[in-house]
Amino acid sequence: MAEIKIRNLHKEFGTGADKVVALENVNLDMGGHVFVSIVGPSGCGKSTLLNILSGIETPTSGSLEITQSGKKAAPGYVFQAARLLPWRTVMDNLLFVQEDRSEATRARCQKYLEMVQLGDKGDKYPGELSGGMQQRVGIARAFSIEPDVLFMDEPFSHLDAITARSLRRELHTMWSDTGKTIIFVTHDVGEAVELSNRILVFAKGGRLEDDITVELPFPRDPSHEDVAIAKANVLRKFEEFDLLAT
Amino acid sequence: MTAVATTSPESGSSGSSSGTAIPPRRPENAVMRFLKSPTFARALFLPAVLVFWLISNKLIQDSWDFDSSVLATPREVWDFMLAEIAGDTVAPDNLYGTFGTSLRRLGIGFAISMVLGTAIGLGMGLSRAVNAFFHDWVMALLAMPALAWALFLSLIFGFDDKAPVLAVILAGIPFVIVNVREGVRSTPSELFDMSNAFGVPSNKRTRHVLLPSLYPFLFAAARYALSIGWKGLVITELFGGGDGAGWTVKFWYDAHQLHGVIGYSMFFVIFALVLENLVLEPISRRVFKWRPSLDSPEIVEEAMDDLHDLNDELNAKSGAGTI
Repeated sequence: MAEIKIRNLHKEFGTGADKVVALENVNLDMGGHVFVSIVGPSGCGKSTLLNILSGIETPTSGSLEITQSGKKAAPGYVFQAARLLPWRTVMDNLLFVQEDRSEATRARCQKYLEMVQLGDKGDKYPGELSGGMQQRVGIARAFSIEPDVLFMDEPFSHLDAITARSLRRELHTMWSDTGKTIIFVTHDVGEAVELSNRILVFAKGGRLEDDITVELPFPRDPSHEDVAIAKANVLRKFEEFDLLAT
Repeated sequence: MTAVATTSPESGSSGSSSGTAIPPRRPENAVMRFLKSPTFARALFLPAVLVFWLISNKLIQDSWDFDSSVLATPREVWDFMLAEIAGDTVAPDNLYGTFGTSLRRLGIGFAISMVLGTAIGLGMGLSRAVNAFFHDWVMALLAMPALAWALFLSLIFGFDDKAPVLAVILAGIPFVIVNVREGVRSTPSELFDMSNAFGVPSNKRTRHVLLPSLYPFLFAAARYALSIGWKGLVITELFGGGDGAGWTVKFWYDAHQLHGVIGYSMFFVIFALVLENLVLEPISRRVFKWRPSLDSPEIVEEAMDDLHDLNDELNAKSGAGTI
């Protein structure tokens, strides 16, 4: 199981009068078979934290450790838009992020394509697929490298409600089946409550305001009373920290 | 399902609530459909040009004290072209030898302008200093007319291959540089971030992300380099050549044979069409076969699947009908 230790993580953009604090001395411990959602208003540093965790950006100060059994853990990433190579087929997009193109690797990619119900679309180009299907390919690509920890940055925010709902269900099944650690950024509190067993609430300026544990059984039906109450409780935290006005 | 109200011609009654009757559209017959089609419009162009040509000849001859033998008729041009294609000519070299000479020069100049232009364009796209170094001179090259290059190069190099080849390079290279530079500037940074996040090695990123994202710009650059380079080549051969297509047009001009000038110009047109339709377009289709088609069945298929899933779920919950 992957373990993530974040100590005094600080990130600033710009200098002088243009300086913007994106993350302010964040301390966190996450790990095991856990689904952590990071929520908060726009500009609260959610995506910045995820980019630092995945190595796309570097912190201004502080330390970060992502380990698996004492060694550096392998991360996977699902982006807001699928970010597929439009000139490569679906299968080639999965193979692009692999270390080799052996038969075993192909079989593993095919397995994850089947998990996202795109087993027969390996020879299609991304432009031939809908937005929902492209995002499924993005999810299959991230799982196909069999990462120790998976970072997801608002992966369903560009999709219509029906497609997003069906992908949430698939993601939950994959998380249950594979036992990964998933760190999931979203601005949708309902989505966070439906999927996660831990929710981190961030405020503008990159402050971690609250760390909420959601103790409801899976799978969670968003229309169920308990899920609705949990969502209302998280939103109450937003009011408490004056996050709704921002 | 949307219901559309229509009006029956027999009843004359309106199907709309406002009472305004919309007359039904009468189906067009096959002949009318053909006459309005783009295929017919395209086919009509050539006869229209021929008619205009014949009328112009007639009007000039009637209204001007002019040696009518100078004017060429479509028939004379046609016969000239057939004779040239058969290899029967009074010019020093036949059609194939002439075009062979010019195409060789075009090929050499084009290859050099693509290689050099791509290297400089990559440098300008990747480095501000390199961009600053070349910028003004590339703009100056872009503004330089092919005629100026033709005169300048002919004076310096005289009547061999050097002047026409250099003309192709100098006319085409600024377009290659500018296209490649813009291509580098618009490479999708989000794909590089994705590659970084997955730890893809840099040589693999270059081959599979940078180069394919440049293909549309390289292709546009090649088209410009070929067409502008060809114009530069023909003008240079015309002024400073001893052979080649441009020189042969001048040969027919000097011989006061207008049908030769027009016929050779027609060969230029045919060459451009062949190059576009038999070389560039097939390559373009092959290289860009990944570009999305609007009517992909998968997109419709997924939308229907999602709707069915939702339907099933709602039915299971409420036991009610479908949406």
